[in-house]
Amino acid sequence: MTETAVAMPSASQDRVGFSLNRVGVIAVNTLTEAVRQKVFNFFLIIGLVFIASASFFAQFTFGEQMKFIKDTCLGVISVISTLIAIVGTAQLLPSEVENRTIYTILAKPVRRFEFLLGKFFGSLLLLVLSMMAMSILFGAVLWIKEQGMIRELSQTYLGESAADKADASQQIKRLETEAVDVDLVKAIAADLAKATLLASITLLVSTFSTSLVFNVVVPFMVFVAGMLRGTAVEMWGGHQLLMAVLAVVPDFGLFSIADEINLGNVVPWTHVGEIIVYGLARTLIVVVAAHLIFSRREI
Amino acid sequence: MRTKLLVAIVLFGTGLILVPMENAVRAQRLRMKYGGARVTFELREAIGQNLAIALLAGMRGVVADFLWLNSHTFWEKKEWLRQYRDMEVVVTLQPQSVLFWDLGQWHIAWNIGYGSLSDPKNRTKAEGIKREHEWHQKAREFLERGIENIPNKYDLYFAMGWLYYEKLSKDCDEPPCRDALCRATEYFGKAATFREAPQFVPRVYARALEKCGDLRAAYEEWKHLWSLDHSKTQQAWSVIEREIRRLELEMQIPNAQRVFPLSTS
Repeated sequence: MTETAVAMPSASQDRVGFSLNRVGVIAVNTLTEAVRQKVFNFFLIIGLVFIASASFFAQFTFGEQMKFIKDTCLGVISVISTLIAIVGTAQLLPSEVENRTIYTILAKPVRRFEFLLGKFFGSLLLLVLSMMAMSILFGAVLWIKEQGMIRELSQTYLGESAADKADASQQIKRLETEAVDVDLVKAIAADLAKATLLASITLLVSTFSTSLVFNVVVPFMVFVAGMLRGTAVEMWGGHQLLMAVLAVVPDFGLFSIADEINLGNVVPWTHVGEIIVYGLARTLIVVVAAHLIFSRREI
Repeated sequence: MRTKLLVAIVLFGTGLILVPMENAVRAQRLRMKYGGARVTFELREAIGQNLAIALLAGMRGVVADFLWLNSHTFWEKKEWLRQYRDMEVVVTLQPQSVLFWDLGQWHIAWNIGYGSLSDPKNRTKAEGIKREHEWHQKAREFLERGIENIPNKYDLYFAMGWLYYEKLSKDCDEPPCRDALCRATEYFGKAATFREAPQFVPRVYARALEKCGDLRAAYEEWKHLWSLDHSKTQQAWSVIEREIRRLELEMQIPNAQRVFPLSTS
């Protein structure tokens, strides 16, 4: 059978319109399946354990402790979300083909695009939930640490002169602003945008490959190439042709704003917004490309 | 074949359309001085392969923290040159971190400096003193670079002032070295101009002015502090009052001009 012949939509699919409801059902089902996976649970538990253990930076100065906790937790959130995005999405389509469940689904009045979108949104839901879990624990670790430090500071200055007490209260105020830093949400939002893009790239790869290893390795390599794109632009910015070829790889370095936030640099919401819009634009393109392949694929 | 071509066109074409957006975000970051040094071969050599990979994965902060912990280990082993080298790499990775510059200079001037002074390997006491002075100078140079990178926060100006006040003021033939103390006032003065500077900074500035020999300026600074709104400003008012009274006595300020005139009865 030729590719063109397969690309012809079936009569039943031709008649049904696009339904967000069906997309939602597939997404929820995908999420349920994904949550049951051992790999997902393993990554999430590892992430949560690392975040919880970040509070053991106790032997350093106050400033060091807060910086180290934030660096570690944001690093863990970034790595685990990257892994979940790739590994969690890589097996979505191949497992459906392998278990032959895709035939049952597509035999019903479900468009391929709805199926693909449902799978993608399911993966996205999984990312949002796991990142929420890690972020809540991160917030709790910061809060517990902050309270402990304030208690320690108050006890240190107990019975000291009024001047020392005034200095201590100023230190406590500074500690509070450092710990309860709303700007950390920006870093997590940028990470989510990055993970969403990675999930879409993995989905694209899995639309034409059935090998799980291939589906994991290729997106990972795209990610590494994307992290190096900023450096490549700096070094070979003058080579127009090379830059045009590189344009196909998203610049993943743009999503790394956690360091700046942690160092107290001002990262305006407009800047974060631009990064998120960039991530979503890239994601949309990749999902469209995935649809183009999947809608014409012989199953 | 047609599908593959279509997908390639979609990916490349739209990728090219997004290039100006990427460039705009990059330019914005450059303007805001985000990031640290680029991953060069020299940096890769200095940090090792595993950390270089972590760096490329966007975990600059974690790598810097790890190297910082490593430098701490070198300090415990009295391997000061290695500690210094690691601290240099750390500030190269995160030049916007106040913490690394501030604690780094403290390690160099106070810990490594004292370690060199009391090192049993020194042949003479003079050698120890010379080595300690050299580390003080290294700390000064280190902090100068820190201030160049972070000129918009009070912390490093204060740290530099403190370095001059506590360490460099003792590094001359006849301590206290007046020049160093006067240089300290310049940095304390600059630190005190920042709104977020803690309340002790202007107090230290006033005290340093006195040590520099400028009693009049010190008195004026204390008076300026006293003139601030007591209900809105948090300060150690009792300390300020005590210092003003002391200076008024020492400088024999006429009773009519005093902030706290002596009772005539």
